[in-house]
Formats: sequence, C-alpha cells, structure tokens
Amino acid sequence: MGIKSQRRLTQIVSYTILIVWSVILFVPMYWVVITSFKRAVDMAAGATYLPWVDFQPSLGAWRYLFVERLSWFMQPFMNSVIVAFVSSAIALVIGSMAGYALARFDFGGRNDSIVLGFMSQRIFPGALFILAFLVMFRELRLLDTRLALIIVYASGAIPFIVWVMRDFFESLPVEIEESAMIDGASRLIVMFRIAMPLAAPGLVAVFVLSLIGAWNEYLVAVTLTFREAVTIPLFMQMQVSQTGYTEWWNMSAIALISVIPMVVAGMALERYITSGLTFGALKG
Amino acid sequence: MASTSTPLLTARKRSVRFEIRDHTWRWILLLPAVIIIVILLAIPVLWTLYAAFTDLHLFRVGGETSFVGLKNFEKLLSNSSFWRTVQNTVVFMLGVVPAQLIIGMVIALCLNNITAGKKFFRTWFVMPLMVSPVVVAFVVGKMLFQEDIGPINEILRWFGFKGIPWFTDPFWAMVSLIIIDVWQWSSFMILMLMAGLQGVPPDLHEAARVDGATAWQSFWRITLPLIMPITVTALLIRIIDAFKVVDIIMVLTGGGPGQATESVTLAIYRVGVKGGDLAFGSSQAYFLLLIMLIFGGAFLVMSRRAMSQ
Repeated sequence: MGIKSQRRLTQIVSYTILIVWSVILFVPMYWVVITSFKRAVDMAAGATYLPWVDFQPSLGAWRYLFVERLSWFMQPFMNSVIVAFVSSAIALVIGSMAGYALARFDFGGRNDSIVLGFMSQRIFPGALFILAFLVMFRELRLLDTRLALIIVYASGAIPFIVWVMRDFFESLPVEIEESAMIDGASRLIVMFRIAMPLAAPGLVAVFVLSLIGAWNEYLVAVTLTFREAVTIPLFMQMQVSQTGYTEWWNMSAIALISVIPMVVAGMALERYITSGLTFGALKG
Repeated sequence: MASTSTPLLTARKRSVRFEIRDHTWRWILLLPAVIIIVILLAIPVLWTLYAAFTDLHLFRVGGETSFVGLKNFEKLLSNSSFWRTVQNTVVFMLGVVPAQLIIGMVIALCLNNITAGKKFFRTWFVMPLMVSPVVVAFVVGKMLFQEDIGPINEILRWFGFKGIPWFTDPFWAMVSLIIIDVWQWSSFMILMLMAGLQGVPPDLHEAARVDGATAWQSFWRITLPLIMPITVTALLIRIIDAFKVVDIIMVLTGGGPGQATESVTLAIYRVGVKGGDLAFGSSQAYFLLLIMLIFGGAFLVMSRRAMSQ
C-alpha cells in the first residue's frame, strides 16, 4: 500500500472510531432530553425512541416543574448555585494568594514540601473526612447549612488551586514585577495589577474546575445536609432512590436543568479545563 | 516626593522598606490557606485516627468514650461483610482502570491522528466530565439499563437475547457500575493522553518511517515511552478515584443486590454516618487508606520499573 492510501486509511479508521465514541457519549444525552418530553403512557409498554414517530412530545414535565412545583426544585438549585460560586470564589482568592507566595518567596527552602502537604489532601479518601466533619459541624450547629458546605468545598478546592497557580506564577517572568517595584509599586499592587491579570487563564481554569467539583459533589452533601441545604446531586438521589413508581420525565427534566449549565460552561471553556487538568501532570 | 531626594538614597530606602513588607507579605498570603488546611484537613484526619482506637458513637449522648486499642481493627479483619466491600472496591477498580486506559489510548491516538475537527471532538469529549456522577448513574444506569422498559434490554431482545438482569444479578450490577464509570471518566484519560501526545514531535515518526519502522513499532518504541510519565500520573489519579467510589453506587444499587456492589466508602457511610458508629467507621476508613497506599505504591513501583526499561 502506498503512503498516501495508507494515510487515508488511518484517517478513515480514526474518524470512524471518534464518531462511534461521540455517539456513545451522545446517546444518554439524547435519551434524557427526549424522556423529559414524555408522559407516563409513553413509557408503559417499552422504550420509545423518536419524538413524533414513537410518541407525542409533551411539555407536561416542564410545566409541572416550572409552574406547579417551582419552589420545590428551586431550593436545591439555588443551594447548589450559592454553595458552588461562593466556595470557589473563596478558594480562588485564598489559593491563588498562597500559590503566588509559594512562587515568589522562599519559605526556608521548604516550598515544595508545603505544596506536597497541600496536595496530600487529594490522596486521602473522602471517607476519612466525613465522620470528623459530621461531628465537627454538629458541634458547631452547622449541620444542614449552606455555610458548612461552602467551608468544606473551599477547603477541598484550595490545595489544587495552590498547586496549579504556584506553577503558573513560577512560569511568569519575575522581571516585570521587579521593575514595577523598583519604580515604586508595592507588592500588593504588583500582585493584583500585574501577576493576576497575566495569570488569568490559570485562574479561570481552576475557578471553573472548582465550580464543577462543588456542583457535582455528593458524599459530603449527603453527610452534612438533609433538608434545607440539600444540593442538586443529593436532591436527585433522594428522588430516584424511592422504590416504586419513578416519574422518569420529571427526573429527566431536573437532570437536564442541573446538567446544562455545567456542560455549556465546560464546553465553552474546554481549553481552560484541559489546561487546568493537565497542567500539573505535564510538568511533573 | 522622589524628585527632590537623590536617586540612590531613595532607591535604597525603598528596597529596604519593601524587604520588610515582603517579609510580612509572604505570611499574609500563605497563612489563610495553611490555616484552612490545618483545620479542615489535618485535624479531621488526625481525629479520625484517634477515633479508630476508641468506641466513639454518635448516638451515645453524654456517655464516656473509652480507649479500646486495636479492638476495632480486630473486628474489621474478622468481619466478612467488610471484606466483601473491600473485594467489591478492588474488583471495581480493576474493571474500570484498564478499560479507561485502553479506550483513552485508542481515542487519544485517533484524535491526534486526524487533521481536521480536533477541537470539535475535544470539546464534545469534555462533556461527561462536567456531569455529576449522580446524573450519569441516573441516566445511563437507571434509564438506559432499566430491566423492563430500558432501551438496552429492548435492543438485546430484538437480537434474540434475553434481557440482562442488570440490577438483580450481582455480577451484572457490578458490570453496570463499571460501564457507567468508564463512560464518564474515559474522557479524563483521553484529555491527559492527548496532552501527552501533543508533546511528541512528529518528525520522530517521520524519521522512523524512513528507516522502515511499522506503525506499531513506531508507537511502541517512540510514542509510548514519551507519554509514559503522564500516563502513569493519569492512571494513578484514576486508581485513587476508583477506590473512593460511592455516589454512583448509592444511586444505582444502594450497594445491592444484598452487598454485591457495596464499596468501602458506602459501608463507612452506612456504618458511621447513618449508624453512628464513628469508631468502627474510622477504622474502616484508615483500612481503606492502607489499601489505597498499597495498591498505589505497588503501581508506582511497577511503572517505574517498566519506565526504566
């Protein structure tokens, strides 16, 4: 086989495999979308696949959620929004400051150990924390509060942010900051006016990753909340686990609402997410 | 202010002032993160270690907790239900990680190979990572794999097979969990391996081809060694994450049928959080950590040996 036809063959095979995998990823997406437009009768006899062909799409589920029971599912939704954004913002500020400090200053030669100490948190299984958290927040009377989740999620996001931002700041040339300081700028100004804007891609990446982590987190939520501060994943699990009749269409609509924001944000910021995920790994 | 004094004097005065400022700055910047980590990482971990050696219980109000030495760990080692959860977790990990590696590698190679549309595929492949595992378990698991009216079983019946008892049979329940995790997290491997592949200069392959190497040899001898470091890192992360699995199990099977799919973390939740037996749960948590360190360490040792060849 000549070079050209061999190359064409590998191209065809590659595209085929990629398309197959893309379809595999698409099927659940498609399924949850069409199910949110189904009614009970559409699911009684068996699976229905195509709207208008197998079943008549209806807005029943959507109307039910947005008109009749809006406050019911708005509560976990708002909880998730508040908890995710506030914890990520706190973690971003604290984590990037610490990352900057570890990149620019020497802490007795132990900078690497400090970063490693932060990262050890990722190795520990969540199971190691949840019992302590349960007791801790019970003593503080903070069980079933958004504040408890915010605190825990922020503490979970900080190590990763410190690690990534430290590497990021280290890769920024120091000369710019140093010349600004010689010209009279204080360290504060240098950090906020020069270093942070230059590090914006990294900051965006870790912020989005923290958001997604907090939005989708389940174990800590199920441990620390049960009614008022329930977030979306826990809310969904609580609905689904009821044995007996499951209202698939309502659940599908809720699933879509909870998933769409993150998926849209993630796909729009794919470049940042990929760089955030792979940043540390490539260097190490 | 600066225009009247001599430049040299001013500069020195300024740099001295900033040295002092910087000296305090670095602690101001670092300390908040350290404090939070100490309170919410070090203290819980140490407390759990302490709890594992006591008989702490959540529901025993006002009673005394006493030190019981290694009794919790003895109870653990002789508890067959606990060993079942360990087995489940290890089986899950062994099912999930190799599958994600193979799929990740194949897809990443294809993605690296094509000329147009890389961005499209990369953006789409990021999607599963954005979804909560709870939702994935619900949609892929509870809906698609539903035994009676789910499409997967229906399609199987079209082809003449009987529907698979996805959730009532222990084996198939584990398989469904593995499928769900692979569906979601293969994308992580894909992204990491893609990043690694992008670091491989294409000229190397050209030179190899000129020298007569086949595509397979080119992959095995050139590409693989170069992407080993990031592959090992990605695998280590996935191994650690697989050991921690709990949310998809909670949604899909609740640990069942019986105990066939209960992971260690799920057991700790059941025993410690719902059951209130903090001491026993803590000892299980530390045992999980031990298992993770053993497997993770063994993996690192093996991969270091493979990399040096």
